[in-house]
Amino acid sequence: MNAIAERIADFLKQYQPFNILSFEELKSVALSIRVINLEKNKTLFQINDILHDSFYVVASGVINLSVISDAEETLLNKCIEGDVFGLRPFFAKNNYMMTAKAREESIVYAIPIAAFRPFVAQNSEVLNFLLESFANNTANPNDIENKGKFLSDNVVFSSKPSEIQYFQTLSYNKTPLKIDKLTAVSQVAQLMTDNLLDNVIITQQNLPIGIVTDTDMRSKIATGRYSITTTVDKIMSSPVITVNENVSLAEAQLLLLKYNVSHLCVTSDGSDKSEVKGVISEHDLVVAQASNPGILIKETKRSNDANDLKKVRFKLSELIKTSIAKNIPLLHITNIASEINFAIFKRAVELAVLELGSPPARFAWLSIGSQGRKEQLLVTDQDNILVFEDVATEKYRDVKDYFIKLAKKTVETLAKTGYIPCTNGHIASNLQWCKSLTDWAKQYNNWMDTPGEKSNEISGAFFDYEIAFGESKIEDALTDIIFNKSKKHTLFFDYLGNDALRKPAPLSFFKKFNVEEEGINKDKFDIKTRGLMPLIDGARLFAISQNIKGINNTYLRFKQLAIVDSKHSEIFLNCADAFLTLSKFRTLEGLKNDSSGQYINLSELSKVDKEILKNALAPMKELEDLIKDTFQLTQFS
Amino acid sequence: MFDWIKNINKEYPEIWKNYISKFEKRSNRFVVLSTETSGLNPNKDVILSFGAIAVQDNSILIGDSFEVMLLQYVYLHDNGLSNEFIIESKQPKLGEREAIQAFLEYIGNAILVGHRIHFDVDLINVALEKLDCGKLKNEALDIEIMHKKLKDISSEKPISIDELCEIYKVPKSERLSSSEDAYTIALLFLKLKSKLGL
Repeated sequence: MNAIAERIADFLKQYQPFNILSFEELKSVALSIRVINLEKNKTLFQINDILHDSFYVVASGVINLSVISDAEETLLNKCIEGDVFGLRPFFAKNNYMMTAKAREESIVYAIPIAAFRPFVAQNSEVLNFLLESFANNTANPNDIENKGKFLSDNVVFSSKPSEIQYFQTLSYNKTPLKIDKLTAVSQVAQLMTDNLLDNVIITQQNLPIGIVTDTDMRSKIATGRYSITTTVDKIMSSPVITVNENVSLAEAQLLLLKYNVSHLCVTSDGSDKSEVKGVISEHDLVVAQASNPGILIKETKRSNDANDLKKVRFKLSELIKTSIAKNIPLLHITNIASEINFAIFKRAVELAVLELGSPPARFAWLSIGSQGRKEQLLVTDQDNILVFEDVATEKYRDVKDYFIKLAKKTVETLAKTGYIPCTNGHIASNLQWCKSLTDWAKQYNNWMDTPGEKSNEISGAFFDYEIAFGESKIEDALTDIIFNKSKKHTLFFDYLGNDALRKPAPLSFFKKFNVEEEGINKDKFDIKTRGLMPLIDGARLFAISQNIKGINNTYLRFKQLAIVDSKHSEIFLNCADAFLTLSKFRTLEGLKNDSSGQYINLSELSKVDKEILKNALAPMKELEDLIKDTFQLTQFS
Repeated sequence: MFDWIKNINKEYPEIWKNYISKFEKRSNRFVVLSTETSGLNPNKDVILSFGAIAVQDNSILIGDSFEVMLLQYVYLHDNGLSNEFIIESKQPKLGEREAIQAFLEYIGNAILVGHRIHFDVDLINVALEKLDCGKLKNEALDIEIMHKKLKDISSEKPISIDELCEIYKVPKSERLSSSEDAYTIALLFLKLKSKLGL
């Protein structure tokens, strides 16, 4: 009776699980269908959206299913004609855990859950099919069998592990206790006690045949099941789990979990048919994990003066160096390094508070500039500001006095720790950069209302801030002030845009590097001013104009921009990559010369590296064009 | 011009009063309409079938559709045409009066959408007049005009449904019935609507 419903039923019956239903049943399902047209890049639902009352079948086009993690979009699957997705409402009550977005202009059928549920209930085949696919994790690459059939909605997406620890090798007991299988248990226990060890390897011709641990002593001897005169082979666990000598932390962890044991026996070739070399215990793993960034942060928290902090800072440099040598992604290293840097800043402020007594008002200690963006790896200077909450006028002077003192102490501690105060004087002990929230609001308003007029002081650095210590509400208040203001201020964007474009070009007309013409850095390439700054400024400009709050890191800003402004996503993604490449060049140069890495000595670069560097400078041009297109720059040029 | 004076004291049929009363509220429902007619002259030709489907919240509601063939025995007889195709078709059939009444009931205050919709509206108005009713009050949107607006085309050259399907990559229907036509037009309408940002 309804020709269109029949047409849709005809379509559905070609695909699972609809092929299980009769044509009449399909027709009744079709009658309840809504047909939705999705323009390219249109989102149907996204992570954390409330569940829709329907699930979906692709009628034409392609729908991408993705999850977003760390501002990066990870594609889980592509749905093509006949694929079913959005099954979550069938089985779960919580919100969507993935994003469905049209990759091209698409048409989807929305089938109401209520209309389809009766068929699921009556038909176990349909139910099984839905359950199976819902339980499947499509992120699993082995899932080719199910591909194109049915797409799971059940995402298990663990956050990225801190990869650094996987590269660590383990230190373990290399002189394990080895005894013969016919030794009496009492003797073994004495030996373990004398050596302060919780395990012993039972060997036969120096090959491991079993292991006895404290657990065995507890469960088999102390319970009275065996007498203490029994020979040890009666109570040993056998066979032992063996590994080879250069096992990594991650592998060892996996093996312990897999076999549910507490000790691994190290042998020369990794099998139990070779000589025993040592024993890895759970404790060794704990220790290994403790020498990772986490322990540095703990050490920071326990530091009592600048000297202690300096030690942490030194260990951090070592950690950065080894990480870079091991080719760990730069993004991870920066993340970890900034976490530790921030822990140090925090502790420095804490120490000052401990010395001066509790503050008379709430405040926030903000790191600005490259630290605020969490981009510093090398010898870093300190840029920071202090914002305290508004107080009564009569108290203002005393309060400000206190905070100036606090700032001076902190800056001094940090200077001793190895962070040189900013050469532009952007430090909180400067009267100008330590003031109340209202004063800061005025300051920012000033900058944004009349950019470039009387304030040569305006620096983009003040728009990249991250709280290191204190009341995060104050930081939020500042953010609100800036973003509310920026909404109506094209003038401000024009200024920032101009500022971004004013940086000297990195390459000459003939695609040669523009190098320094004089001074001690003659013939070197200024990668900071000519390469990194334009990208940093551009990212900040677009981030503020697109209302992206809370992301200060240039790389992540570009990544987020690519998601928000999909029209120009390619430009932004290129810039993100270019930024990483340039940062790496700078970091390597800095490590080589123990400098800030601002000036690259081109003569030391290989031809290939020069090409890579040149390529990384190319996306900047596109970004500049985009700035010119987006903002009116005439006011200040 | 002074039609309304002529009609001022006219007593309309119940069905028409009912229809008019629905216009107190604005509608967010669209009804995509396609008709088959015997020709292009509203005064001589008649409607042979209606196919219509509703669009709401940017989606086509398959269940909310309307389909009827009109038993135009008088017209067919007068013009010496066969009525076999009507007899053989599986679709619901009604006389013109009942069909028009059912149609009014179905569309309510929805915004009508079609391809050269003004022509359909003219024919329906003629049919309404026969029932002592007034003219359709529904707003009407024409996908051909929407397309021209989107592409900024000023020429008068008509653009067929098939051409539009090609442009917007909508699978062409086999044009078996007016309701399948209506579905095709509805898909075109959704695409045009989102492209125009309506």
